[in-house]
Amino acid sequence: MSAPATPPPALQEFKDNLRAAPRRILETAFRSGNPSTDRTRSTFIFSNVFLHLHSVRVHRWTLKWSTSMGLGIATTAGFLLTLITGILLMFYYKPYPDAAYQSIKDIHFVVPTGRFIRNIHRWAANVMVVTVILHMARTFYTASYRRPREFNWLIGMGLLAVTLGLSFTGYLLPWDQLAYWAITIGANIAQSPREVTDAIGITGWFDPGGMQKFLLLGSDTVGPEALIRFYLLHVMILPLALMALMSVHFWRIRKDGGLARPADADQRLGNAPGPVYPVFTQAPLKTYSLAAIVRGRTPAVGNGPENTVPSMPHLFYAELGVFMLTTLVCLALALIADAPLKELANPSIPENPAKAPWYFLGLQELVSFSAFVGGIGIPTLVLAGLGLIPYLDREEAGTGEWFGGPGGRKVVFQALVVGFAAALAIESFAIRFGWIREWYLAVPQFVVTVLNPGTILAAVYGFYSVWLVKRYKSTRAGALGLFTCFLCGFLVLTVIGTYFRGPNWVFYWSPGDWPRH
Amino acid sequence: MEKNKYLLLGSSVGVLLLLIVAAQESFRKPWRQVQASGRGEDGEIAVRLRQITNANLRVGDRCVSCHVSMAPGEQSVTGAAILAAHKPVVHDPAEYGCTVCHGGQGSATEKADAHGAVHFWPEPMIPLRFAEAGCGTCHTALQVPNRELFQRARQTVDRLDCIACHRIDGRGGTIRPGGGRTEGPDLSHVGIAGYDKGWYEKHQAHAAKESAGPWKTSFGKIDDADLEFIGIYLATRVSAPALIEAKATFHSFGCLGCHRVSGAGGDEGPDLSRAGEKDPGQADFTNVAEGAGLDRWIAEHFRSPVAVVATSQMPPVAASQKEIDLLTLYVLSLRRRELPGAYVPRDQMQVTRFGQREFAPDGATLFGAFCAGCHGPEGAGKHASGGATFPAIANPDFLGVVNDQFLTETIRRGRPGRRMPGWAKDGGLRDEEIARIVEHLRKLGGAGPPADDNWRASSKPETGRGIYAANCSGCHGAKGEGGKGPALNNRAFLEIATDTYLMETVSRGRRGTAMAGYREPSPTRRALAKSEMESTVAFIRDWQKEKK
Repeated sequence: MSAPATPPPALQEFKDNLRAAPRRILETAFRSGNPSTDRTRSTFIFSNVFLHLHSVRVHRWTLKWSTSMGLGIATTAGFLLTLITGILLMFYYKPYPDAAYQSIKDIHFVVPTGRFIRNIHRWAANVMVVTVILHMARTFYTASYRRPREFNWLIGMGLLAVTLGLSFTGYLLPWDQLAYWAITIGANIAQSPREVTDAIGITGWFDPGGMQKFLLLGSDTVGPEALIRFYLLHVMILPLALMALMSVHFWRIRKDGGLARPADADQRLGNAPGPVYPVFTQAPLKTYSLAAIVRGRTPAVGNGPENTVPSMPHLFYAELGVFMLTTLVCLALALIADAPLKELANPSIPENPAKAPWYFLGLQELVSFSAFVGGIGIPTLVLAGLGLIPYLDREEAGTGEWFGGPGGRKVVFQALVVGFAAALAIESFAIRFGWIREWYLAVPQFVVTVLNPGTILAAVYGFYSVWLVKRYKSTRAGALGLFTCFLCGFLVLTVIGTYFRGPNWVFYWSPGDWPRH
Repeated sequence: MEKNKYLLLGSSVGVLLLLIVAAQESFRKPWRQVQASGRGEDGEIAVRLRQITNANLRVGDRCVSCHVSMAPGEQSVTGAAILAAHKPVVHDPAEYGCTVCHGGQGSATEKADAHGAVHFWPEPMIPLRFAEAGCGTCHTALQVPNRELFQRARQTVDRLDCIACHRIDGRGGTIRPGGGRTEGPDLSHVGIAGYDKGWYEKHQAHAAKESAGPWKTSFGKIDDADLEFIGIYLATRVSAPALIEAKATFHSFGCLGCHRVSGAGGDEGPDLSRAGEKDPGQADFTNVAEGAGLDRWIAEHFRSPVAVVATSQMPPVAASQKEIDLLTLYVLSLRRRELPGAYVPRDQMQVTRFGQREFAPDGATLFGAFCAGCHGPEGAGKHASGGATFPAIANPDFLGVVNDQFLTETIRRGRPGRRMPGWAKDGGLRDEEIARIVEHLRKLGGAGPPADDNWRASSKPETGRGIYAANCSGCHGAKGEGGKGPALNNRAFLEIATDTYLMETVSRGRRGTAMAGYREPSPTRRALAKSEMESTVAFIRDWQKEKK
């Protein structure tokens, strides 16, 4: 027996390399090395394509729970959840009438975890709608839309619209009675300009309402064309639009110096509790380049980095924490309640009442008074009003503070009272005594379009906020009042539309009182 | 800042737990446990989702994931009762699936959802005791007589002891000594398969040849009436005896007088052609006791229509519990499913394409199916709750004074302005069927048409005005518009009523009604002379003329 031959060096090297491969893969993937010092943490972030959207250090104000309440991240989390579960659902879903319904039944009954995944999709979508509205409210009440973030507010509105669009287009896909009639109602709301063109008598040659409806459905009624349209919008066009807008939204947050904070944020925060990492333990590996200081409001300019902490791990704990919390909520809801699936869509058996998705029920309530006002008038006013806020309120006081600005909490509280009272009063009146059409059958539609609970409510809110502007000599005060009133009105109308409207849109205290046939 | 760390930790642990719960819930389905308990010929059976698919019938039934022995090729799985095989039926469940006959939700994989009595599923399972209603999904029993005839037919077969040799609907049939077969063939579905119409002659010839055995002891001469009843019974043997009896019962309560089924019937009530498909989710169960099945709703509706449907004008059905069960079974069977051509059964084709009738063509059945609801099973008339009066058309005093043309035309055209619809056009009855009804009426009342039908009142109408005002207007109205008694100025009535009819009615009256004969005096008035009655008839006849 000869002595064991030492392996040739090349083979030895191969074995060593093989052994080292996993570590090397990791090292080459994250080229910053172990993120244990501030420097390596910074490198970790800006050498990573997914993370470099974050600044490497984050202000402590940003990490306060009260600053943003994590609502933007929660919305993003909702989107990611719907994206993942949506892609999974696409493996089974067939976008054709009847087959669509059957495929949902199959997902529910036989696809492994299919029912759970569909429930998550549905709940995450609803969570997303709720959090995107709350996120907007947070941004408004902390006056975070001000310079330089004005345009990001508009992008945010775009995101709100796309989110509602995604939810609405997804509503039709199960092809059940709920979906069919909700979309029928939705399409009729889109057709509401006809109320005005009919009143002037020009529908024959100019019919934007009919055009809108046809564009939405691809046909006069909800059918296979509408389904494929909604499907394409739902799985491709709108998600792509949302992702594009989200990228810009996030990118601008970074470019605008992170989340808005009061000018005196540093004083308010006081000294950081616990151990504070020294700002730079070593000379920075990478200095801020000229590109970072060309504009006046980048994080490093004019502000010492004293009250910042490394984003890795602090911001990531916060973001991932909110992400997981949102996931937890969606999963819990998905386990508790199934996504609805009623009978197969049947064009010959109308649902009564046929209701749009819940976030449009406020509009449907207004549509019940006047299609034009609910379908076009009020939404246009609301969108225009919201969009103009950052351009009308050019004040400085209160930026980054909850209910900041002249009047502050007092105005908000008062506006809550006014907003609820006005909405409830006008609704109660209309429910109790009816409206013009019930009193004078022959009155021209034009009168009803101009004078109805929707327009009156909008006028009350409008005058109230103008009064606030005068009273506090501040646009911000007026905006605080108007926005609060808008939320109150939205809430009141949505709740009435959801819980208190029965067959033929008649008011009932509970569904138990609905007449049977 | 530390709290973010705990938020992340806590939520992540929570998510992990929920994922475990969800996975548990998704993978531990009851059908897996059911299948794990089953044993096939080679021991344990494979645990997998089983289903019956039939693209033609658009069936994909996963019921067999629990009811494994009904799955294609798995007839011998033993274990819990739920695994048991289907009882032998004409249609192999492995081909036809489950939901075509039984209803329910085939795509579901859990009991409550599959059996279908859940929210938003319009076709829950038909309760097992009404299972034969499922046949109605595709089949239509033809020429079913009314219940009385049906029962007599069954009694005839029983009395003549046909089931000594033949097996019918699971009864009777002696096994041949030494052989494995019954003496005679099974007659349970000769109504579909057809049978030799010359069987009686052949039976006789055979019996003459045999010198001993059952042919000598059990077979004898059968008279014509009995042969007719045997024919009725055999023609309705379609393997669904309860459904046939149910349909026969339906043909006895005059339901078709107000309701339409397959195109024939009245329009007072809703068309029942698909009443068995009613979505229980759309029905109001407020006043229906015990459970929420459609069968309960229908049964309660028979007992008290107004309690179940507030706007219903239907009178309560005076029927026994057994009869209500039968009627419920029949209504449940009124359902339809779109079928590919090759699957359309012959009986349905006979009705939809060739005008074959679902009811038997004899007068008694026709009267029971169409007339009995309003005029009573014996034609004795009825006073409905709303004050409406339905004439006693089998009254011999009436039948004795009308000719057949009056009866035929009344049925054909109906009586405009009254509840009686025209049966020829709207009601969908054919002339020969109406003729059978008239014959049956004559039989019921035992009175033929008047001998002399050509008499004409020759008085001047004006002379009768006073007599009419004094004697008739109290009940028939000053202008003959009717009141307690029927309207006399109805032109459709006058067109077919002969003077003989009017004269004889005035003269003899109509027993059993308030109309007394005027040839006799009564305690309150004197008798009328013949001439007076004649002028009254002339006065009534005058309403027939076109008035300006």
